[in-house]
Amino acid sequence: MAVEATEVRHELPNLVSFLADIIGRKTRLGEQIYLWENILFSLIAVFVISLIVYLASRKQKMIPGRLQNAIELVVGGLDDFVCGILGRNGRRYTPFIGTLFIYIIFMNLFGIIPFMKSPTSSWSTTLGLAICVFIYVQYTAFKELGFLGYLDHMMGRPRGILAFSVFVPVMMFILHIVSELVRPISLSLRLRSNIWGDDMLLSVLAGFGLGGVPLLVFSTLLAILAGVVQAVVFSLLTTIYFALVLTHEEEAQVNKS
Amino acid sequence: MELLKMLSANEIVAQIIGFLILLFLLRAFAWKKVLGFLDKRKEQIASGFKEIEEAKADIEKMRLDYDAKLASIEQAAKHKIHEAANESKVILEDARKNAHAQAQEIIDNAKNSIKYELSKAKEELKNEIIDLTLKATENVIQEKLTEKGDRQLVKDFLDGLDKL
Repeated sequence: MAVEATEVRHELPNLVSFLADIIGRKTRLGEQIYLWENILFSLIAVFVISLIVYLASRKQKMIPGRLQNAIELVVGGLDDFVCGILGRNGRRYTPFIGTLFIYIIFMNLFGIIPFMKSPTSSWSTTLGLAICVFIYVQYTAFKELGFLGYLDHMMGRPRGILAFSVFVPVMMFILHIVSELVRPISLSLRLRSNIWGDDMLLSVLAGFGLGGVPLLVFSTLLAILAGVVQAVVFSLLTTIYFALVLTHEEEAQVNKS
Repeated sequence: MELLKMLSANEIVAQIIGFLILLFLLRAFAWKKVLGFLDKRKEQIASGFKEIEEAKADIEKMRLDYDAKLASIEQAAKHKIHEAANESKVILEDARKNAHAQAQEIIDNAKNSIKYELSKAKEELKNEIIDLTLKATENVIQEKLTEKGDRQLVKDFLDGLDKL
């Protein structure tokens, strides 16, 4: 019994946990459902987002309706956000960064809906997304700079005579490799920890009140704010990673010209 | 190492696949379509504004043309009025001259007529006087001379009176 008490999870019950309880957590099916809890909620998010976008973009009109207007506001806003940082060529990366933002904000805000859970409170979820970012940024860097250009980028600037021509670039190269590898970990842990903390706060404060007002009201508002801010931070950092690579691309183009 | 225990390779792979599916779907339905539509609308609005500016310029040009035409019409009207006024002056002057000439002619005719009537009256008066004188003379002298001689005699007398 003592072992069971320590296994109590600090999160509100959700559909999957109810289902697992009904089936029995000790059973094989119950274990599997519980194991794929985050993936199930992620797939629900994918389905909901796809459905909304499909309905909004199905019959586009020059004078938009409410749903089309809302989608155009989000899409246009994200495009402005990305192009504002990356410049004119930024639109190539708008679909990736925009999808990331929408997906994360939906998953973050799932936590405040009753019987739902934020999949982003799991490190595996956020690390999966961060790995996507890492691979796409590295691919962009190789594609835009070329292999030698990428090595040059990793060796950093400025260069000079003697030690600055060999020792410092090598050290900078190692440092850059480490920083590139650390990026997905820091990116994913930041998001996961904030959302996990929000979910925990919601579950802890669920039973408390202050002068008849449930504390869940305040913590829910806080969770909404944190969910939006963390989605923005994740997207912003991703955009900055692209910008760091594309700045060199622009420099190379200027040097060529 | 404790952190690594939180990770699940299956979950990571599933999450990557889920995200790629969503990216594919949104790329097809949202980004290309909606961004393309937004661009199209922006272009339409920009071209609409351009058309409005062009229409404004056309209207301004038309207004200037109309103003110029109106000014030329006013100028032409003034010119016509001036011409008409001059013409009316000429006509008036001619009419006045004509009237004056006609009046002068009427006066001259009247004078001639009066002269003629006067001379005619004088002649008739002469004849009356001659007749009266002859009758009176006949009565006085009781002697009848030849008519032609009588008349010549009286006429000479009267002519002598006229000279007086």
